[in-house]
Amino acid sequence: MTKRSGRGWRLLSLGIALALASEYAPAAESKIKTFMAGLNFDHFSRTIVWDGDTGPSRIRASLVSARADLGFGKGLTLSLYAGLSLTGFDGLAFGTLPIALEFDASAMKGLVLGAELESHLLNYRNFEIKAAGRFVSSFGMSKTWPLEGFAVDGEAKGRSNWMEASAGPRVAYIFSDMFVPYLEVNIRWLRADFRMEETLDDLVGLETKRVKGDLSFGVALGGDARVSDRLTIKAKAGFVPRSGGADALFSVGLLYAF
Amino acid sequence: MKVPAIRSIKAITALLVLLIAGLGTTDAGWIKQTKLGGRSFRRPARVQRFERPALRRGPRYAADRVLVRFKPDVTDAYAEGLLRSYGFTSVRLIPRIGVYSVRTSPGASVAETLAMLRRNGDIEQARPDYRARLTDTPNDEFFVRYQYNLRNRGGILDISPGLQFPMTAGADIKAAPAWDAAMGDPEVVIAILDSGVDMTHPDLAAKIVSPGRDFANDDDDATDDNWHGTHVAGIAAADSDNTEGIAGVARNCKILPVKVTADDGNGYYSWIIDGIIWATDNGADVINLSLGGDFDDPFLEDACEYAFDRGVVVVAAAGNDYGASVVYPAAYDGYVLAVVATDFNDQTADFSSSGPQVDVGAPGVYILGPAPQWYVGEGYLPYVFASGTSQAAPHVSGMAALIKSLKPELEPADIMKIIRYTADDVNASVDRGRDNHIGYGRINMERALVPYILK
Repeated sequence: MTKRSGRGWRLLSLGIALALASEYAPAAESKIKTFMAGLNFDHFSRTIVWDGDTGPSRIRASLVSARADLGFGKGLTLSLYAGLSLTGFDGLAFGTLPIALEFDASAMKGLVLGAELESHLLNYRNFEIKAAGRFVSSFGMSKTWPLEGFAVDGEAKGRSNWMEASAGPRVAYIFSDMFVPYLEVNIRWLRADFRMEETLDDLVGLETKRVKGDLSFGVALGGDARVSDRLTIKAKAGFVPRSGGADALFSVGLLYAF
Repeated sequence: MKVPAIRSIKAITALLVLLIAGLGTTDAGWIKQTKLGGRSFRRPARVQRFERPALRRGPRYAADRVLVRFKPDVTDAYAEGLLRSYGFTSVRLIPRIGVYSVRTSPGASVAETLAMLRRNGDIEQARPDYRARLTDTPNDEFFVRYQYNLRNRGGILDISPGLQFPMTAGADIKAAPAWDAAMGDPEVVIAILDSGVDMTHPDLAAKIVSPGRDFANDDDDATDDNWHGTHVAGIAAADSDNTEGIAGVARNCKILPVKVTADDGNGYYSWIIDGIIWATDNGADVINLSLGGDFDDPFLEDACEYAFDRGVVVVAAAGNDYGASVVYPAAYDGYVLAVVATDFNDQTADFSSSGPQVDVGAPGVYILGPAPQWYVGEGYLPYVFASGTSQAAPHVSGMAALIKSLKPELEPADIMKIIRYTADDVNASVDRGRDNHIGYGRINMERALVPYILK
């Protein structure tokens, strides 16, 4: 169940990323009007309740990725991401393993793939309204911890994956050619799993924590700033309200136009 | 099914006398507890009890809050302004001790926030807001003074003027910290296959699930006419936090009495076999067998396998004959946990049997437990000290019941491995690793039940 669903999830996320890319691929050779590439840094936190848990815990992810923005004209832009992720899991407990484990370790590494589609909807005076959708998936690398203090040798091996999709309107104010600020409101969907395998001699346990689809709403302020003919900085910061507080999101990218 | 002749002969021979009185106590014998107050007494009412869930888990500190104290020369106004400049959404001063309770910024972990604050030269201390809990020590009258087996703080075990023993702090099964993770599910039942149980005993009456079954007298009343079963039942799961007597290992689990020995403490394999099967079919999750015989018998092994295959953890005393082999059914290694006795200094008791089937040790020297009032006599409290692997085994049964409470999906083989692999290798200085005297070591409930922190 666990292996199959994990594999299916990866295939699904890869499929979505490829579908987003391939939809425009045939047209790419002839219809790409602009092409920008660069580096992106993203950070977000998300307070979630894992399936079966009674209390919340927090996912914190930082992503560094290479980014390519393909402009197809008429306000349609596809951005593709590929890079590395570091994901922290505060307060995550694996209570059904033979020896229960509580996660207090450093962030887990992973490979990240993502795509963002931005489409122009309408203009009103200096305002431009767009629809923006984003999909990011992190494929975690496994990490092993020795289990010490037991009568036999043991270890725990963990691997985490997550994917987040968001979509919503983006209202930009055409301030100038050099700087375009915007306000973005979106619905955010998160799916995550953390598979932990425990081995103490011949005692073996496996627990997979899951969040099958956590929904929340986010608000972000951002801006695209052209710092030269070729260089553009794209940044945004926002928050995701939750009961008792808010989670944060932040993104900054430096892009070079070809 | 055809039974080989030799097996029949062995089975007939196996109608041996089970010297469980000898198994249950050593030469030191049991002790009438004359020091526990002279006259027996009953409290008219229970004091206030803390009602808590069976299972408790959670992070060790608040995920979105830290505590900060500034250096003495920093003014309150400056301190508060500084904290707000970090973007903390809530800053609250606890005035009498000059500590600020601060809600961390969205997206920032406690560790990141503490690291950031500790870099500031004006801040004296920045600490997590740790989680506290209601104190775990049960209020049972003799817990602190006599139950070294559950929590040993060192000092002198003072039983009577001639029986005083220095103890080593920590030579215990770590019950107190383990109870923070699990105190037992009332649905989890420990069957005590023994001389019966005194079902009216004040430390047991509330824990009995049914009158049980008496295979010695072939009736449905497993009342104890010896004393041994009452004592063993109390160690495993005495009513706890009731201000009376002792605390049991599996504080909230229940007891199913099954009488498989006569009033003299002797029984036949057939009674034990019947008892194991009856207990398995009547809701037992754990079976405690503080008894044993010298003869290997396939029928007895089959009964243990029957229980094991149906999800029941079977625990048995290894025997009280130093230098001799492990007795049966403890010796059925694949289906039964064999338990030897340790003392208040984590030394293996000098009466314990040994052998390759030994799995773990548990306290079994001068263990205080309940006894029938008629047995101790008028004027005495209904508790006795006793020594033996009989007293060690119910510690392990109680632990198995707590594991089953916390993780009901585990199979008996897994629970047995958890009990073995989390033990403290207390004789590592002379015999590192598993050995024939104490198996994997003295059980450690904390290691088995409290989550391991991955760092």
